[in-house]
Amino acid sequence: MTAQFQNSLVDIDALPQIENLEFIPIDRNYLKVSLISRILIITIGAIAPVLFIHFNEEISYDALPIIGGAYVVLMTTSITLLRMGFKKKKYALREKDIIYTKGLIWSVRTAIPFNRIQHAEIKQGPLERKFNLSSLKVFTAGGQSSDLMIPGLPSEKAQQLKDFVLGKTAEDGE
Amino acid sequence: MENKIPDFSKPSRQSSVAIGIILIKFIKITFRTFWPVLISFFIGRKTGGSNFESVIGYVAIGIAALNLGGSIMTYFRFYFHIDKNAMVIDKGILKRSKVNIPFERIQTINFKQNILHRIFNVVSLEIDTAGAKKSEISIDALKKEDAEALRDFIISEKELLINDSPAAVEVEPENLLEEEILHLTPMDLIKVGISQNHLRSMALIFAFVFTTFNESSDLISDFIADKFEQYESTMVNNAFLPILLLIIAVLIISFLFSLINSILKFYELNLSINKTGLKLIRGLLNREEITISKNKIQIISWSTNPLRKMFSMFTMKITQASSTEANKKSNITLPGSYQHQIDKILKAVFSEEQPDYEPEHKLSKLLKLRLFLFFGVIPLIIGAAVFYSEGVQALALLIIPIVSWLIIGLYHKKRSFQVNYEFLKNNTGIFGRTHELSQLHKIQAVRIKQSWYQKRKKLATVLLFTAAGQLKIPFIELDKANQLENFILYRVESDKREWM
Repeated sequence: MTAQFQNSLVDIDALPQIENLEFIPIDRNYLKVSLISRILIITIGAIAPVLFIHFNEEISYDALPIIGGAYVVLMTTSITLLRMGFKKKKYALREKDIIYTKGLIWSVRTAIPFNRIQHAEIKQGPLERKFNLSSLKVFTAGGQSSDLMIPGLPSEKAQQLKDFVLGKTAEDGE
Repeated sequence: MENKIPDFSKPSRQSSVAIGIILIKFIKITFRTFWPVLISFFIGRKTGGSNFESVIGYVAIGIAALNLGGSIMTYFRFYFHIDKNAMVIDKGILKRSKVNIPFERIQTINFKQNILHRIFNVVSLEIDTAGAKKSEISIDALKKEDAEALRDFIISEKELLINDSPAAVEVEPENLLEEEILHLTPMDLIKVGISQNHLRSMALIFAFVFTTFNESSDLISDFIADKFEQYESTMVNNAFLPILLLIIAVLIISFLFSLINSILKFYELNLSINKTGLKLIRGLLNREEITISKNKIQIISWSTNPLRKMFSMFTMKITQASSTEANKKSNITLPGSYQHQIDKILKAVFSEEQPDYEPEHKLSKLLKLRLFLFFGVIPLIIGAAVFYSEGVQALALLIIPIVSWLIIGLYHKKRSFQVNYEFLKNNTGIFGRTHELSQLHKIQAVRIKQSWYQKRKKLATVLLFTAAGQLKIPFIELDKANQLENFILYRVESDKREWM
């Protein structure tokens, strides 16, 4: 039986290699979407402490520069990380599977074979709609944590991708 | 028995015992939801006048009447029958519903009995279906023979539907051949009870005690604090004996708790196997019967702890693909299985060669350093920061890195994985040992993760998702991780077998 394994070991090098794939970056406009939503979230988050200071007699306005400074630092690091992380969001389609990579500090690459896909759906938030972008979400039986979501696809492309993926899944089911 | 099989095509009610069983179920639910109210009523009774007492009386009578009426009506409004390869259930008092489950969608049919069921020789039937979230259907009470007949009928009809070749019909009598693989004798049962994880029982007891204390009034804790304050000075001097006694008491209670618990749960445990799957029966007061079909099994794992190792026993876990993630009920746990029984089950479920003789791939040694940083160095620094004022006594903290280094060493020594063409096997353990085995074609998704540190060191963590949980291989060389991913994807994509 060891002989059989040695055989398959040789096979491994001949197998298609995921690590040398050409990955496709997602749409540039998605960076705008995520930047706008991030700025909105941080701004809304900043309103609360400002109001708190305004209505609280005990804290003087002297604290404002500190909070302002913290806000600026938070905003810049958040935006820089977002910009750098955006470059990591890439996907690839092969004949038999779909692969998505992301993550700046924690890089993650998920591969789902078409013949294991349960269903796929397209999602679009209000901001994404403005830029005509959509997200493709692919579900497997491996539970929520194994699901794969590719954001920032032009809507037509997302639809195409979904049809392609589901077509492949149906093909394999036969 | 053959001639007594009822006609399932006509809508029929459950066994009349169901009224009692539903009633008890209702009362349980009422108590579970209203117990704080009930307790406050009883406490209020002491302070309130006689007027209050009569109110409680009315409320109690009202609740009882509601429960009784509800259960009787539920019983009379519950019909089930079989109609054209589907199980139909018609129920509901105010909101009527008719559920139609096609046989193909039925995953498993399990039996359960509590004491009442056992007295009247009835079973409750649970039908687990694939698909929608809330898709479990249960019948509260059916005569045992009827339930068995119903299950056999549905399963054989389902088989016919799935492979409608005539060959399938011929195989059928063989399907029913059962072979007993595992039977826990009373001696085995006691061994299982002795070798349970008593630390877990202890944690359970503590959790219970603390939540009960929290829910009851602060009076108790005040009372205890008061008493302790009185004795504090003497306690400090003579603390050794009471603390020793307390520890012994806790140990004995935990031991008895896990012993009784395992006797209740695993009494007369019996596992048998037939052509299509496994059947498990177990339990003293609540008797359960669980069936799992072979191709639904996703991961089989077996583990020992130091105590159980003395009896050369393992705990085996068989997990199957389930409709909902949280559905743990239909998984099988077999404590007290011996190596030859495990081999037999593995052989019966998977006919392919096990990866036992394949090389054991180890994890990177750097994992040891990382773990040591998190469990040895950082706790030591925090401890030192907190206790540095204690002087020489703070040196006792040095035990932390020493113990953690030893444990990490054990972990790293035992942690490995093995792969062959068919399987992936994960080996792990510190004091005990755990093995997880899954077929490669049952994997749903492959994920490679790298932290910043791992990227610098060219290491990666591999996560393999199955329909019954994930397998994790942390800290292996990136090249190996990529190879593994390529190989698994190739295996999943080229294998034409069904994964469930």
